[in-house]
Amino acid sequence: MNIKHTWSLDHPVDVVWEYLTTAELLAQWLMENDFKPIVGHKFQFHSKPVAKFGFDGNIYCEVLEIIPFKKLSYSWKGGPGKGKITLDSVVVWTLVPKDNGTLLMLEHKGFTGMKNFIGYLFMNSGWKTKIRKKFMAFLALKQKQ
Amino acid sequence: MSTQTPDAFQVLADPSRRQILHLLTKNSLTINALAENFDMSRPAISKHIKILNGAGFISIEDIGRERHCILKQDGFNEVQEWVHYFDKFWISKLKKLEIALDNRAKNKK
Repeated sequence: MNIKHTWSLDHPVDVVWEYLTTAELLAQWLMENDFKPIVGHKFQFHSKPVAKFGFDGNIYCEVLEIIPFKKLSYSWKGGPGKGKITLDSVVVWTLVPKDNGTLLMLEHKGFTGMKNFIGYLFMNSGWKTKIRKKFMAFLALKQKQ
Repeated sequence: MSTQTPDAFQVLADPSRRQILHLLTKNSLTINALAENFDMSRPAISKHIKILNGAGFISIEDIGRERHCILKQDGFNEVQEWVHYFDKFWISKLKKLEIALDNRAKNKK
């Protein structure tokens, strides 16, 4: 189960890149952080806690890949606190120059953990679409309750 | 020697086990009721149920004389909530990024 968003920006890749890789600029639009553009650097984002599903508001990250002006990825882990991790995922940013602007692609993937594989399996063609849809509708309903 | 528990992938790779989970989304069912949906022996069904139970996808409860299989929703809901939350989160953050970039460009002019 992945999240994907593509955003078209009227700003050149070098400027967008700066906003993705400078701690002070990241804080302006994303969250307070101690990011450094160094592979292996461990850092954190801080935001509001969400009690409903056990999220203390801290995101624990490690820089995984940097290709200047093209690609940036980091791990993205979170949980209810005290070092317990219930979300273990990866964020990947891809930048593509377009005219005078940038096509910015975000992929938030690998919502792993044992149970989470089920979401991944829904993507498999082996699972009939109809059954999948019914199951997803059921889950959505349960979530509202 | 400990018996090796199959991972979630292996558990769900089997179409019969996925079918069992699907049947359980509607209702909890007894092992016998589940078996009626399949063209296989009762021990074969029991084996699949044991695997699903071991992997935490379902729980088995004794109600009266019958053993009922119940779908566990905790794990499913958890991942749904994370995905739902971050999907919205990113849209709002990307909007903020766009605003920050626009403001920067304006101030430069």
